[in-house]
Amino acid sequence: MMNFSWKDYRTVCLLLAVLAMGVLFARPAEEQERPVYNLTFIVDITRSMNAADSTQDGRAVSRLEFVKRNLRDLLVKLPCQSRVGLGLFTERRSTLLFEPIEVCGSYAEIDAAIAQIDWRMAWAADSNIAQGLMNTLEMLQHRDGSVVFITDGHEAPPPNPRYRPDFSALKGKVKGIIVGVGGLTAVPIPKFDSRGEPAGYYTADDVPHRSSFGESNLDPSQIEGYNARNAPFGSAKVTGSEHLSALHETYLEELALAAGLRYARLSDAEALAEAVQRPEFALTKKVAGDVRRQPALFALLMTVIVYWPFGLRRLKNALLSIRRKVVGYAARTL
Amino acid sequence: MNLGVESPWLLTALPLALLPLVGKGMREHAHPGLMLLPPDPLSGLLDWLIRLFAMLAMAGLVLGMAGLHRRGQSVERIGHGAEIVLLLDRSNSMDNSFAGRAPNGNEGEESKSAAARRLLTDFVNRREHDLIGVAEYSTAPLFVMPMTENKEAVKAAIAATATPALAYTHVSKGLGMALSFFERPIVSGSRLIVLVSDGAAAIDPDSEQKLRQWFKEKQVRLYWLFLRTANSPGIYDQPADPRDDNAQAMPERYLHQFFTSLNIPYQAYQAESPDAMKQAIADISRLENLPIHYFERIPRQDLSGLCYRASFILLLLLLALKGAEVKTEAKP
Repeated sequence: MMNFSWKDYRTVCLLLAVLAMGVLFARPAEEQERPVYNLTFIVDITRSMNAADSTQDGRAVSRLEFVKRNLRDLLVKLPCQSRVGLGLFTERRSTLLFEPIEVCGSYAEIDAAIAQIDWRMAWAADSNIAQGLMNTLEMLQHRDGSVVFITDGHEAPPPNPRYRPDFSALKGKVKGIIVGVGGLTAVPIPKFDSRGEPAGYYTADDVPHRSSFGESNLDPSQIEGYNARNAPFGSAKVTGSEHLSALHETYLEELALAAGLRYARLSDAEALAEAVQRPEFALTKKVAGDVRRQPALFALLMTVIVYWPFGLRRLKNALLSIRRKVVGYAARTL
Repeated sequence: MNLGVESPWLLTALPLALLPLVGKGMREHAHPGLMLLPPDPLSGLLDWLIRLFAMLAMAGLVLGMAGLHRRGQSVERIGHGAEIVLLLDRSNSMDNSFAGRAPNGNEGEESKSAAARRLLTDFVNRREHDLIGVAEYSTAPLFVMPMTENKEAVKAAIAATATPALAYTHVSKGLGMALSFFERPIVSGSRLIVLVSDGAAAIDPDSEQKLRQWFKEKQVRLYWLFLRTANSPGIYDQPADPRDDNAQAMPERYLHQFFTSLNIPYQAYQAESPDAMKQAIADISRLENLPIHYFERIPRQDLSGLCYRASFILLLLLLALKGAEVKTEAKP
C-alpha cells in the first residue's frame, strides 16, 4: 500500500511539516510574563484648570480639555490586561469615580467617563494640592498599582509653607507620578457665573493672594503692623498675581520628592504613555502567549520547499532531461 | 462575514500558496511508455486536486499565523430588562450606620454606604440584560459611568463608593445629571432612576420646573431608596409643629411630595435596616422586567485554530499521497 521513499526530500519535508503541526497542537500556548499597569488617574478639576494655555490641533484649549484628550489617547496605548481607575481632585481631597477596570474590555466606558469630566463636578472650590495629594495617597495606600496625579500646581489660596503636610509616613507606600499640565507663563483664569456661562476672567481683586490661616511663616518683626492676636499677618494690603495661573513646576517637583513620587510634564499622549509605563509601575502578569506561529511557520516553509519550482534540483532535473533529449536526438540522428 | 486578522502584514506571505500552480510537488519520471498513453482527464483532475489541497494547506497556515478571527459584534435580542441609572448619594452621612453612628466594626454594624454597595452589587449581578449607568452627587453631580451593559465597569463604580464620602447633598443637580443619561428617545423597555440617599435637600424653584419637564419628556420611572437614619425625620412623617412644615425643615417629606406630584410612576422605599433595603431592591428587580431590545455583545471568535486544523488534515493527506507515488529506486 503506502510506500514512502525517504530519499525523496519532498517526503521528508512533508513529514516534518506534519510533525511540526503535531507540536503546534500539543503545545499551543506558553506562559509568558508581560508587563501590565494598574493606574489610577486623579485629575485636578479646580478652576485654574480652565486656563486656556494648551494648544491642540492649533487652537487654544483649557488645561482640563488637554488632559482629557491625552488621557483618552493614552488608553489605547496601554497593553491589554492593564487596569485604569479614575478619580477627581478639588478642594483638599480627591474622590474615586470607579475602581481600576480592565482597559481593553471596558475601553468605551473609561473613555466616556473621561470625556465627561468637567470642572462643574467640583464639590468645593478651594485648591490645596499638597493636602489633596496627601489625601489621595492615604486613600490609595493599600492598593497595588500606581497613582497618576494630574494637576497644574496652582493653589488657591497659596498655602502657607509653615503648614505644609508631612509626607514622611506615606513616602514609598504608594508608587506613582505627578503630571504637571499648563504653560510656564501665567495666563488669566476664566470665570463663570452661577449658571455656568463664561463671565470674563478673574481679576486681582477676586482672589486671596495669601492664606491668612494660623500663624505667618515670617518673623513677626518683619511684618508690618503685626499683632499676635488681631493681625498675625500684619496690616499691609496684600497684592499679588494669584489671579494668573502658570504651571508651578518646582513646587510639584518638591511635592513629588517629598511623597516619593515621580514627576513629568504633560506634553503629548506619547510622552505620557512613556511616563506612566515605567518599569517600576509595571506588574508582571502571566499571560498565555500564543506560540503556534513558530511551528506553523516551519510547516509552511517545509511545504514551500516541496512545491518550490525554481530550485537547484529542479534546475538540475530540467538540465538532465534536456541533456537526455539532446543525447537521444543525437543518438537517433547520428 | 466579519473577518479580521491580527497581523495583516503576514498576509503578504499568502502568494506562497500559489506555488503549487507552478510546482508539481512530486518527482517526475521520464518514461517512454507515457508517450503512448492517451491524455487521461481523471488523472489531470487528480493532479489539480492534489495541488489544490497543497494550496489550501499553505493558505491555512498563513491565515492561522496572521490570526484570522471573526470580529466581535453585537446582535439585537429581546429580553427582559430596563435602562437603569443608579444615582448615589455621596454625602458625608452615608458613611454612618443606620443608627446614625460611625460603624465601629465589632458589633457587625454596617455603614449605610457599605450596605448600599453590597446590595447594589448583588442587584447588578442579577440584572443580566439591563443597561446600567452610574451617577453620584454631593454638592455637585458627578458623572461616573455611562449607560453600559458592562457589568464589571458598573460594579467597579459601585465599589469606588467605599472611598470616603464628600460634602453636602444637592439632590436636584444629581437628578438632572441622572436624567441626562436618557438622551435617545425611548424605544422599548422601561427607564428608571434608582435614587439611593439618606437625606434630602430642598429643590430650588428653578430646577423644580426643569426636573418636572424632563421627567415627563423622558418617561422615566423613579425609585427612591431612602436609607433612614434612626431618629431622623422620615418621608412620611407629619411635622409636629405646623411652623416646621416647609422644605427647609423637612426636606425628606417635601422631596417625597415633589416626586409624587410629578405624575410619573414613582415608588419610595424607606429602609431603616439593610434587610429592609434588600427587600426594596428585590422589589424593584421584580417590577422592572418589561421586554427590552438589547444588544448582546458576541466576543470576537478566534479562527486560527480552525485554520491550523484544516492545514494539518490536508498535510496528512498530502503525506499519504506521497506514499502512493511511483518509486523508481530499488526496493530492499
